Amino acid sequence: MAHGHSAQDLMRPAGSAQPAMSVREVSLTLGGPPGRLILDAISFDVRQGEFLSIVGPSGCGKTTLLRLMAGLMPPTSGEITFEGAPVRRPSLSRAIVFQDYTNALLPWRTVSANIALSLEARGVARAERDDRVAALLKKMGLQHAAAQFPGQLSGGMQQRVQIARCLAQQPRIMLMDEPFGALDAITRQGLQDELMALAADEKMTVAFITHDLEEAIYLGDRVFVLAANPGRVVEEIEVGLERPRHQLLTREDPRFLKHRHRLFGLLQGH
Amino acid sequence: MTALSRAARRHGPAVLFVAALLGAWQGLADLQVISPVFFPAPSRAFEELAFSASDGSLWTSAWATIKRMLGGWLLASAAGIVIGGAIGSSRTARDYLEPTLEFMRPLPASAIIPVAILFLGLSGSMALAVIAFGAIWPVLLGAAHGFATSRRGLRDVAAALEFGPVQWMWKFSLPAAMPDILSGARISLAIALILAVVTEMQASLPGLGYDIFMAQRSFRSAELYAGLIALGVIGFIVNHGLAMFERRVLSWREPQS
Amino acid sequence: MGKLRGLIPPFLLVALWEAAAATGWLTLESLSRPSHILIAGARALMEGSILVATWQTIEAAALGLLIAVAAGVLSGVLIGLSRPLARTVGPTIEGLRPIPAVAFIPLALLYFGYGLPMEGAVVAYGCVWPVLVATASAVRGIEPRLLEVAAALEMSFAAKVWKIILPAAMARINLGVRVAAGFALVVAVTVEIVVNPRGLGYSLILAQQSLRVDLMYAQLIWLSFLGFVLNLALGRIGRASGASERAAQ
Repeated sequence: MAHGHSAQDLMRPAGSAQPAMSVREVSLTLGGPPGRLILDAISFDVRQGEFLSIVGPSGCGKTTLLRLMAGLMPPTSGEITFEGAPVRRPSLSRAIVFQDYTNALLPWRTVSANIALSLEARGVARAERDDRVAALLKKMGLQHAAAQFPGQLSGGMQQRVQIARCLAQQPRIMLMDEPFGALDAITRQGLQDELMALAADEKMTVAFITHDLEEAIYLGDRVFVLAANPGRVVEEIEVGLERPRHQLLTREDPRFLKHRHRLFGLLQGH
Repeated sequence: MTALSRAARRHGPAVLFVAALLGAWQGLADLQVISPVFFPAPSRAFEELAFSASDGSLWTSAWATIKRMLGGWLLASAAGIVIGGAIGSSRTARDYLEPTLEFMRPLPASAIIPVAILFLGLSGSMALAVIAFGAIWPVLLGAAHGFATSRRGLRDVAAALEFGPVQWMWKFSLPAAMPDILSGARISLAIALILAVVTEMQASLPGLGYDIFMAQRSFRSAELYAGLIALGVIGFIVNHGLAMFERRVLSWREPQS
Repeated sequence: MGKLRGLIPPFLLVALWEAAAATGWLTLESLSRPSHILIAGARALMEGSILVATWQTIEAAALGLLIAVAAGVLSGVLIGLSRPLARTVGPTIEGLRPIPAVAFIPLALLYFGYGLPMEGAVVAYGCVWPVLVATASAVRGIEPRLLEVAAALEMSFAAKVWKIILPAAMARINLGVRVAAGFALVVAVTVEIVVNPRGLGYSLILAQQSLRVDLMYAQLIWLSFLGFVLNLALGRIGRASGASERAAQ
């Protein structure tokens, strides 16, 4: 399975498989010259089918990193490639889930029409759209909200709509920017489990940004830790916890706690 | 039953007030304190209204005025959305156009009537030009504001979904600006009605404005009042119609449940 | 830089216009030419004819505005304070408000004949609504605690209105008055153009009818300038009152 990376993968990626995305020596300077160094020579791969968590304190440039990976802005130096081709502009093959769902959904479109937006972007014929939307509504548990407007929904529901819209893109990677950061704890846990099930079902490649350590470990196959000023990768761990995971049991697992201790120390150190 | 009595309690005073006003008017007119040449009884005004409705002249005039108003308003709205949209979404367009527009805007719309007459004569197209010029500003300002404030988050979404500039305008920018455009358009429509009446009076173009002007000239005050009532009804219907349309189109703005 | 770029279109237009007229390429009588317009404007200013007309227009606009503010604030306070009253007269107001002010020109003419009172009456009718509506909603929105204070101090009704209600509602009443003030000039000019033989509107239509096109354009520019100054002044007042309101909080 796609999520089978575990102890034996720890050494190095297994042979020939090309990474989904590769970030090479990427730096970003804003303003200036001389300007402020936001990201400093960041390098890593996102492996095919993995769930990669990127965790860091606020101000470490993690959202900026995701924008670079999406192609929403260019790096000052270095290169990002997706499936071997350089990333120069946004692409339908890379879906982005924004943290601020209120500004990412079109408030004048119903839930269905928001999801259909991706289908319109892909040029899916009108006749076909309804079925696709219906399937996605069902998958995300949004059937009853289909005709409602985003402003009438709770935050958790709105974020579900955004995820559904991203799924409608049929992307080959999901870039998620603290998607659950603004939600309450209960809703967040529910969505975490839904997201993991979804990722497993669809064999999705995910890069997931968060400032929440536990969330990073709980969701991820691997976790990257970024430090601030300037943003750089300071640690990489293989989580190695088997799936499916469980909100209580997994979080009480000694390996989970060990990771948590280690990363906590790292984040405190900076 | 209860619904009826509730409605009576709710609207009763207002109905009574209108009835009292009309009664007082009728009473004063019947006493002929003021000459009926100036002050006709409301019954006379309504008779006049009914008469002109039955012989069809009311509808002809009203329709002429409404057509004039709508024509000018549509012209103003189209131009206002295009120019306002350009100013709102492009810095360059704003830099070049804004000072010129700022100087033209405070000009009372009726003041360009002489210019319009000079170029177009006492014609229907003169009226359309004046109405369009006067009614453009609220839509233009609304559109400029609406397009300027379309949210940055939506730009990212449009980029991520690989939408081009045309689709950005059509699917994102225009709907986002719609609330501002519509509230401007409502004010524009009221202005369009005013200017339709003014141009009819000024250029002797057929319509309610011309009718009441002529009624005054020949001291037919009942006809004058009838025309005023008809104009009030048009203004009321038009304003509320557009408000209802606005509520429908912008229903997404009202949070429910 | 941005500000300067904005001056390019009008200057270019005026220069082209003048050049086209000077070389005889443009012989349209209805267009005149910028230099002639400038001369006509300067002459009208020097003779004072344009200033007299300006005064007549402003006089009528101010008279109408004054009546509108007095009537609008008074009835607005009453309607804002009493819900039953608002329910009683509300529909009548909603019925009267959409009648275009200019439609009252013939009626005002019937009662007052030509002159200042007739013009003032039409202006007053047009301007009363924004003041009334703003006042009523401002008064309705007053913090009930303030009215309780008035009751606790056993204030008379007049004292309550003067010391509590008007100050509390002032900011929003101001807003309505500013809208009305802009409207007053427009209505006054319109009345003059349509019927009333006085003021800037009349001299504008007179210039057109006697084919003094240069003078007509000069007056148009003057009128636009007046409107611009009025807008600027109203904006200033608005900002100043907004600032004092913020300071008071």
